[in-house]
Amino acid sequence: METGEENTRKEETVKLISAEGFEFVIDKKAAMVSQTIRNMLTSPGGFAETQHGQVTFPEISTPILEKICQYFYWSLEYSSGKETEFHIEPEITLELMMAANYLHT
Amino acid sequence: MDGDPELVGGLVGRCIDAATASAESVERWRRQRRTLDRLPSYLADALLRRIIQRRILLYPSWLEYNSAEEIDLKGESPVDVEWLAYLGAFRHLRRLNLANCRAVNNSAIWYLSGMNNLKELDLSRCSKITDAGINHVLTIQNLEKLHVSETGLTSNGVVLLSSLQNLNLLDLGGISITNEALCSLQVLTNLEYLDLWGSKISNRGVPVLEMFPKLSFLNIAWTEVTELPYLPSITCLNMSNCTICSIFYGKGSTSAPLLKLFGLGATFVDADKLFSIIDTSHVTYLDVSSSSICNLHFLVKMDMIEHLDVSFCGITDDSVEYIAKAGKGLKFLNASNSKLTSQGICVLAGNVINLETLYLSNTSVDDVALSYIALMPSLRIVDLSRTKIKGFAYESQDNLEKTFPLSLLQNLSHLESLNLEDTLVEDEALLPLVFLKQLRCLYLKSDLLSDVSLHILSPLSSLAYLGFRNAVLSNSGLLLFVPPKALHTLDLRGCWLLTENVFSSFCKLHPQIELRHELAGTVPIDENVSAGSTSLHKTYLTSEVRSEGSDGCFVAIIFINSSFACINNKLHDLKKLPKELKTKLGLGLGPTELRVE
Repeated sequence: METGEENTRKEETVKLISAEGFEFVIDKKAAMVSQTIRNMLTSPGGFAETQHGQVTFPEISTPILEKICQYFYWSLEYSSGKETEFHIEPEITLELMMAANYLHT
Repeated sequence: MDGDPELVGGLVGRCIDAATASAESVERWRRQRRTLDRLPSYLADALLRRIIQRRILLYPSWLEYNSAEEIDLKGESPVDVEWLAYLGAFRHLRRLNLANCRAVNNSAIWYLSGMNNLKELDLSRCSKITDAGINHVLTIQNLEKLHVSETGLTSNGVVLLSSLQNLNLLDLGGISITNEALCSLQVLTNLEYLDLWGSKISNRGVPVLEMFPKLSFLNIAWTEVTELPYLPSITCLNMSNCTICSIFYGKGSTSAPLLKLFGLGATFVDADKLFSIIDTSHVTYLDVSSSSICNLHFLVKMDMIEHLDVSFCGITDDSVEYIAKAGKGLKFLNASNSKLTSQGICVLAGNVINLETLYLSNTSVDDVALSYIALMPSLRIVDLSRTKIKGFAYESQDNLEKTFPLSLLQNLSHLESLNLEDTLVEDEALLPLVFLKQLRCLYLKSDLLSDVSLHILSPLSSLAYLGFRNAVLSNSGLLLFVPPKALHTLDLRGCWLLTENVFSSFCKLHPQIELRHELAGTVPIDENVSAGSTSLHKTYLTSEVRSEGSDGCFVAIIFINSSFACINNKLHDLKKLPKELKTKLGLGLGPTELRVE
């Protein structure tokens, strides 16, 4: 019974790991906002990412990955009609832009 | 504005927005040198382009550490020595556009010396650049495209360019190059594009053009050349404002067919003989507006013609049969300011089934023509301004019941733009226009129109641009107007009854609409206005004609023709034209006046 529950939970979430090793566990649905992550998780080739539901980003720092995760959730809300602003501090725009570019977000 | 759709929307687009929100935002990231260095070049380009567009680049020192490959600073007046000092450090730069940067001088371009990645450099109309400055350009040995039109260069400087062996495009427009200087360029055998408009090249000098085996684009407008030898690789030729005796004499083997021919304002000595020599069977684009041509017999051989401009030529209905014969593929026809009448349009109907654009401005065409125009199913743009269109007729001489021939336009399911400026159309005649649901631009200008006409147009759901000028429109009439949903520009210039306070009220009600009126503050000009004012529709394609492959993007330069009354009308518009356009307008004035600032 317990293992079954754990399985479904694992199915619905993915773990994103930053350059420094911080782990962000987020809904799979949210992570799929990124075309790159979507490809990794759904490709039939059997990537390690597909099996374990975790992706490591050695190029993306923890604060940037956190911001990315916030964006995933904001993006879901936005597409369901909730009109709020997604604020980006000018200091992180360059780093965030590069990460977003890599993630096809 | 950004060409790359990936950069619009999404998180990348939001980052660019946030990074360039204001000068302060830029200040907060611009010192992140290592990150900037790692930025993919197309992101760096996009970022820089946006900064320049938004004019928030206050100090050139902000340009430090950028991996951009393309920089377009066209027309940015503050660009000077200091800017160039920073630009010189852009080691990845492949393309730099400094056209119209008036402050750029010889010492400024010193900083470009030895930029070996630079392939394309545009210094057009940087008038302070002279022969002395060209030495700096010579150090950029990999340069492939160089624009130096309308700079201070002379023949002496042009001769030096012969050391840039990789050049495939050379734009020398407006420089008074001599035959001898052209001769020294013959070592540039990679040249595909050569622009020599306004030069001192003559018949004696042109045989050297045979030395360029790849030359496909040649512009010798405004020169004294009257006879051009056979140049087998030419596909696009511009001899506007020349006296043309013969083109391609001494015919040899063909390597490429002529596709485009520009002869605006040209004097054809014997057009029939001239066209009998040239192989015109592949010509798709012919512009002979304002030229001496008065019959179109030569069209018989042009089966492929798609774009034909015979405006201001004095052609009559007799010539229309040739257009009709060649007309299967015809997409664009400009016969404005000609002697065409409705009978001529009758001959065209049924023969030009692919015609998308039709200009008949300032002709004697009347309501009868509308029934023939309705038989041209592909039409998207129709200009009937300054014609005798009334928009109503009586059924017969005995039957005084009115009919409204504009309703015939309902058959044109692709019609997007309609110009009825300065016609005799009155309020009630406009009623049938309501059914043109796909209409995006409508131009009206007449003191026969009133509040009623404006209100009639409310249901035009696709209408984005509405010109409603010189009409008897009242304040209350404007305020009661329910604008179509898509409307973004409403041009009310010349509506003299309106008072200042009505504009603020209207803007409050409809903030999405840009109002144009003499009393509504500044009146910015855009492509819509020029498209509507077809009396201005004289394209002068001299230095601006790009070779084939970029058909859609060459800039049509507006030029006012003969009618002085018309010039007076448009002076108002001209004042607001960007500087660069004004320079181009200068092209139409005649070679002696080109230098007048």
